[in-house]
Amino acid sequence: MSAPKTIPKDAQVMMQILKDMGITEYEPRVINQMLEFTYRYVTTIIEDAKIYSTHAKKSTVDADDIKLAIQCRMDQSFTSPPPRDFLLEVARQKNQTPLPLIKPYTGPRLPPDRYCLTAPNYRLKTVQKKVLPSAGRISVPRLSVGAVSSRPSTPTQGSSGVSVSKVPVPVSLASQRFTVQIPSAQSHAPKSATPPVLMSSSLIGQKTLLMSSSLSQSESLKRKHEDEDDYDAL
Amino acid sequence: MAAVQGGLADSEEEKDTKTDPSSDVCGNSNNANDAKPVSNSPGANAPSGATKTSVGTAEEQQTLLAVLQFLRKNNLSESVEILRREAGLPEGLLDVKGADGSGTGPGASAGGLEGGDASALLSRVTVSVSGVQAPTKACDQPDVSVVLSAYTQQGDPSLYAVYYSDLKKFIETVLDCHRAELSQVFYPLFVHMYLELVYNNHENEAKSFFQRFSGDQECYYENDLRVLSSLSKREHMRGNETLMDFRTSKFVLRISRDSYQLLKRHLQERQNNQIWNIIQEHLYIDIFDGMPRSKSQIDAMSGSLAGEAKRDANKSKVYYGLLKEPEIELPLDDEDEEAENEEGKPKKKKPKKDSLGSKSKKQDPNAPTQTRIPLPELKDSDKLDKIMYMKESTKRIRLGPEILPSICFYSFLNAYQGLTAVDFTDDSSLIAGGFADSTVRVWSVTPKKLRKVKSAADLNLIDKESDDVLERIMDEKTASESKILYGHSGPVYGISFSPDRNYLLSSSEDGTIRLWSLHTFTCLVGYKGHNYPVWDTQFSPHGYYFISGGHDRVARLWATDHYQPLRIFAGHLADVTCTRFHPNSNYVATGSSDRTIRLWDVVNGNCVRIFTGHKGPIHALAFSPNGKFLASGATDGRVLLWDIGHGIMVGELKGHSETIYSLRFSRDGELLASGSMDNTVRLWDSLKAFDDLETDDFTATTGHIHLQDNSQELLLGTYTSKSTPVIHLHFTRRNLLLAAGAYNP
Repeated sequence: MSAPKTIPKDAQVMMQILKDMGITEYEPRVINQMLEFTYRYVTTIIEDAKIYSTHAKKSTVDADDIKLAIQCRMDQSFTSPPPRDFLLEVARQKNQTPLPLIKPYTGPRLPPDRYCLTAPNYRLKTVQKKVLPSAGRISVPRLSVGAVSSRPSTPTQGSSGVSVSKVPVPVSLASQRFTVQIPSAQSHAPKSATPPVLMSSSLIGQKTLLMSSSLSQSESLKRKHEDEDDYDAL
Repeated sequence: MAAVQGGLADSEEEKDTKTDPSSDVCGNSNNANDAKPVSNSPGANAPSGATKTSVGTAEEQQTLLAVLQFLRKNNLSESVEILRREAGLPEGLLDVKGADGSGTGPGASAGGLEGGDASALLSRVTVSVSGVQAPTKACDQPDVSVVLSAYTQQGDPSLYAVYYSDLKKFIETVLDCHRAELSQVFYPLFVHMYLELVYNNHENEAKSFFQRFSGDQECYYENDLRVLSSLSKREHMRGNETLMDFRTSKFVLRISRDSYQLLKRHLQERQNNQIWNIIQEHLYIDIFDGMPRSKSQIDAMSGSLAGEAKRDANKSKVYYGLLKEPEIELPLDDEDEEAENEEGKPKKKKPKKDSLGSKSKKQDPNAPTQTRIPLPELKDSDKLDKIMYMKESTKRIRLGPEILPSICFYSFLNAYQGLTAVDFTDDSSLIAGGFADSTVRVWSVTPKKLRKVKSAADLNLIDKESDDVLERIMDEKTASESKILYGHSGPVYGISFSPDRNYLLSSSEDGTIRLWSLHTFTCLVGYKGHNYPVWDTQFSPHGYYFISGGHDRVARLWATDHYQPLRIFAGHLADVTCTRFHPNSNYVATGSSDRTIRLWDVVNGNCVRIFTGHKGPIHALAFSPNGKFLASGATDGRVLLWDIGHGIMVGELKGHSETIYSLRFSRDGELLASGSMDNTVRLWDSLKAFDDLETDDFTATTGHIHLQDNSQELLLGTYTSKSTPVIHLHFTRRNLLLAAGAYNP
């Protein structure tokens, strides 16, 4: 401990408080943190009390105002957990329902999508066909390179024609899901809809992409993210 | 509160023809006191004899109101009418009382309120009601007790010290054999008397009382006493939930019948039996027949916030056996690993049965049935895992006092003391660390790097029919040694891998539990339920379920596909700091800051065992692999061993000098490893500790234990790290011990 002379009085008081509460080992910066907290708390309370006292048309701030200010702040920021009897009652009700049966294997067992964090939190702007930058080809409705065309069930996407307006997927979101509407000029698949392609999810822990292609007559290559409802059907 | 009601019931009978259900919650001490309307002496006489309408003082009016409310609550409407008519009370008064009701009543009322006038009382009720943050749960109960507690007989505050020292003198003069037991009374009595003085605003008397007698208490109550010393006004008490619970719950003492008779006789002889009142109201004395216990026996079991456990609490049957392993046939040739291994596949010739499977078809009487709780069925990948597990277990080293495991220590460098939680996967291939900066990091222990699954675009392009499709779905470009998971907004205090290595759970100070996918390394679900820091979480050994325990004093059972908890385990008096599943997933053990460990049944949420004995908050729990025993470690540096079936303590391992943060049994249960803040890992011989336990009938019924002082013999080795506290231990499938901690220079 450095020479007592150089420590301000407030810090000395704080050290004494810590000692009284039985805390003997702490880093030196704890005192500063405690002092900051104290200062902020006390000023907040006193400011609140001033407001209450002017509201009550009093000329000075007195003990009642302070008490009220403390109480209101306590309800707001320093909440404590519910009392025991309430918890016991809630627990009793909750524990009465039997454990739900587990459906046989249905893929990754996650709550309904509404409660998951797996939906994308961005939307891709739709791109007008003619306004494309000279980045390359226009959204040509055709198979793009790289498709394994021997499989009619594999839809492809013309990826070059779409501009993404937002930075995709922050790390905390899961897989991207989007539909690609491939216009009717598809050469390979005259089918109206190809079934969604899903990897054998027994080995993957999450819902991966869901591609569905439909023969829409739209000419522009649009990429829309899927509605969440579609996933529940999975 | 129950005692107060019991008292009221007595006075009811005097004037009602209907009989009230007498509260049978109270222990022997209350039944012994039937004749005395204890808590209502000043006011009870007024209504009991009242045929006239004059209601004198405001106190008596309050009593009448309380009585009316009680009657109304118990649907004794006729008596309500009669009483109201006779006492001449207007209709309106009752309703005012009712409006103030909220679930916080017991908390506010538990002290002895001074019998003031009605308005002061009401204002006090509203003040205390609004102060506590609890949703309004309409319940008449608190109103009654608020008022009733006004009539807790109070002695003159200055005489409290006199009463206490009288009792001290008496107990010092009794026979030695009784003295230890009766000394148990001191601590709860002291705390309750002090709290009553504070609650009734006798600050100076409270301070002097505290100074005079706090030094006499047992050393292990030191922390509690310090907290108490900081409370000198009633307002201070209000925010402290633990203290409120302490006041409302009964402190349990286990005293032999002889000692109890002595105490009772002494206290009832006296004129002013304030102490007797307190004992009746706040203590539950669990009487047993037999020899009084010695000091060491008592010390071993006491220390928790609510006294010891009632014998009844540990009586229910617990199915501690293990579930039967599913029959999976091992292929003789190793190349067929990926092929499905179902029973009766004709292609395999003479497959080996798994050595861990149950050869006997008989059900272990102590094991739960397979369908007691719904468990997910085994997927193909799970079966493959099990086969790997069995193969590894054949190569497992059998540990013992002569064959100690090697210990491999994983030190987290540059963590700046921010490492708050660690977990290993069961096959020891991944480590996850939870940090105070709210990140979760996952590392690969093996040379195989961590890869994310390819993006949706690329997944299209791979050949799905190929044999190594599992490899192809992984994106090589994202291969790295470690991955960082962002999402929490507070330090991550609990972390747990799922048994099938698909998911990772993390619980944090922000009150949520997050489920992360280990294939995409992104967050899938956030489970919100605790609104307060969640201190620990664990996946069940069979997957699908997980538990969490937090600052709100409850533990919750969740399933990954429900956004709300399935079970709530409420009962602890303070935060739940440690939660563990039993190997058969039917029971959950929770350790708490109130220094008790409770075992809960998953099926109905009941508490089936309460274990007291630790003198500090519990931070580590471990079930033995055979499911029969539980080991627990706390801030007092002791490891306690419990027999779950009988519900008693069977061993105490002393050696550590600081908090024990991790405990783990070896794979076959032969060794117990403990890691602590004193930078050491200690190995204990658990086979020997559990070996010659004779649990005779007396011990089983009364719970008295005779602990051997054999910690030294059981200690097989102490291994010190270089200033790195050990916060996690893990035995690999081949019985190599892995330890983890953050280097703390």
